[in-house]
Amino acid sequence: MNMPGGSNCSRRDTINRMPASIGKWALSLTLILSGLVFISWSPGTQAADELNCVLCHKYRGLSRIDEQGNFRLFYINEDLFKKGPHKRIQCKDCHRDIEKIPHDPAKKVDCTVQCHLIEPSGEEKFSHKPVAEILSKSVHGKLNEDGDEKELAEDFPHCTSCHDQPLYRPLSFFKGHEAGISERGLSRCKTCHRTGDFAEDFYAHVTSRLQKLRVSKEIAGICAKCHGDEEFQERHGLQGNVVASYWETFHGKAAYFGSEDTPDCIDCHVVYGESVHSIESKDSPTSATNPKNVAQTCRSSECHSRAGENIAGYQVHVDYDDPEKYPLQSYMLTFFKFLMAAVLYFFVILIFLELLRRLFPKFSFIKQPEAASKTPPGNQ
Amino acid sequence: MANVLKALKKFIRTLYILALMAFTVWYGFFLYPVIFGHGDENKNAADAGQDLAAFYGEGTTDEEKAFLKSLKEQQQTATTDLGYMVIEEQYVQGHFHHVGMKVEPDSNSVCMRCHGAVPHDRAKTIRAFLNMHAFYLACETCHVRPEAAGEGPWIFKWYDKETGEVISPPPGLNTLKEAMYGNYSAKLGPGKIDSNGQFRFLNGPKELAFVNKYLQEEERLNDTQKSKMKNVLHRNVNEEPLLCEGCHTAKKKPYIPFLEVGYPKRRLHELTSTEVVGMIKKYQDFYIPEFLRGGGFDHVKPEEKSRAKKPSVEFLRDSTTPD
Repeated sequence: MNMPGGSNCSRRDTINRMPASIGKWALSLTLILSGLVFISWSPGTQAADELNCVLCHKYRGLSRIDEQGNFRLFYINEDLFKKGPHKRIQCKDCHRDIEKIPHDPAKKVDCTVQCHLIEPSGEEKFSHKPVAEILSKSVHGKLNEDGDEKELAEDFPHCTSCHDQPLYRPLSFFKGHEAGISERGLSRCKTCHRTGDFAEDFYAHVTSRLQKLRVSKEIAGICAKCHGDEEFQERHGLQGNVVASYWETFHGKAAYFGSEDTPDCIDCHVVYGESVHSIESKDSPTSATNPKNVAQTCRSSECHSRAGENIAGYQVHVDYDDPEKYPLQSYMLTFFKFLMAAVLYFFVILIFLELLRRLFPKFSFIKQPEAASKTPPGNQ
Repeated sequence: MANVLKALKKFIRTLYILALMAFTVWYGFFLYPVIFGHGDENKNAADAGQDLAAFYGEGTTDEEKAFLKSLKEQQQTATTDLGYMVIEEQYVQGHFHHVGMKVEPDSNSVCMRCHGAVPHDRAKTIRAFLNMHAFYLACETCHVRPEAAGEGPWIFKWYDKETGEVISPPPGLNTLKEAMYGNYSAKLGPGKIDSNGQFRFLNGPKELAFVNKYLQEEERLNDTQKSKMKNVLHRNVNEEPLLCEGCHTAKKKPYIPFLEVGYPKRRLHELTSTEVVGMIKKYQDFYIPEFLRGGGFDHVKPEEKSRAKKPSVEFLRDSTTPD
């Protein structure tokens, strides 16, 4: 057998000089290690389901009611799982406590642990820890400035309170702008980046990050999990249902009907250019919603960039059901509702009566005198 | 002839006017919520929740809180818009993974009127698997055995979860993805040929109507009568249900005739393969199948616990290796 390359030949010579058993052992070990190195370093390698978790978790009704009375669904939709960045990690990277099959109820996943992926900019193992650190300093953090737990700390969000499994939202810019991967654009990447799904993943990841991962309506829905809950508002002394009042605004209605350009909660409550996890209380001087900063927030380059200071006077979270707090808005709304009802119902009734007349052209509640009705006109 | 045409014309005109009048009335009703109200999809649940909250005083116990929470959450769905596709799925609070499906309620199960759609809880090691089977098998498939009733083998047929009508095998049985593995919008249930020569499910429309009526009128019974009725209602339920190896076996004819009810050969091999049968054996070693008896006992013996703690991931690797 010819071995190309000098280094390979010299290695073979060395092996040949060893006793036969050691040589075979070393050769096998080298092959195994080479294989392992190849598998783990191959850039396009996706996390296979090495532990065959979907053997059980592919069944849709795999579920139970847990000790707290919550419905737990253990089904994994593999097709959808492969549509997001987590496709590159293994089940066990997150569910670390599972050591045996059948396994005990899995513990809560800690998103801040390091997984086996290498973060390419720093060549360190990837972790969501920096995000958790930003969140901890925000108004949503469980700890106060002194490092002590806030009151009702269990109410404050953790990762899965807002996030479900992330999915790519790729965009095509090849010709025009549309949702999905451009096969023609991707083919250019794959000219050089041929191994595995590297090009597809990279394309989907980067283009997803060039837009919002969630449409405005979904974002408001996520915030509504807590801020739309009346009991939650009462527990934390929050003023009214801010999500319901958002839906009443022009922005909210556009979002409700599917606009992706209209601002959602994050656009106004996060300082332009900062992490979405860094929302601050409006009392904080650096907050995007602090009265002093509201105009600047509205004037961000993608929104009302040429607006004056008065734009800060726009009240987003008006509770129309609270006439004591918002008398002008509340009574104005009531007036316009009744005005609209009066105009529309006037015409609806008019049309109905007109149709009725056409159905019974001679009907009248007033009975005419018989003689008068029989006398032809002009003979009186 | 002219008179007939005139009468016909008048008749059509009258119909036209009546249709317009009906539309105007409908439009009047349609306008009201548009002007005055905002559609609340969960209004009924919220109203019921408020009534109960007023009754319980905001839910002072865990049970009351859980009940109120359930009322608020019922029938919620989640939507994820990826631009190129929209995922409509069941909303499960705190659930991380996308399931990409809606759980269709079984409107025709007699048992589920009381026991719900996720009824298994006692056998801790296999409860999730049992609930998974309840997704597409009628409860009586495992819990009402023909030999106990002194009858011949049941005839299995699929029924539509919504209408309860007998249907042909759902297409999902043969589909490679999408509806595969349990989401068929249908369930397989046992039945028999009645005295009229017609097929009828063990629990069909008649039994369902009876149970619904019973639940409606239950308050009229005294406590003793309730206990008596409970026994009557469950008289066909076997203490020992069908066990896993009744169907997942390659050694004998499976209890459910998979091929006859529409499973393709590929699925038959899968259901009776080393992979699934091996997994079941692992669970058999792990629990004592006594879960229909009174609760409170530990299903796992101490020596089994220690055996189970040993890492057994290798087992799965072996089981997936083709024979």
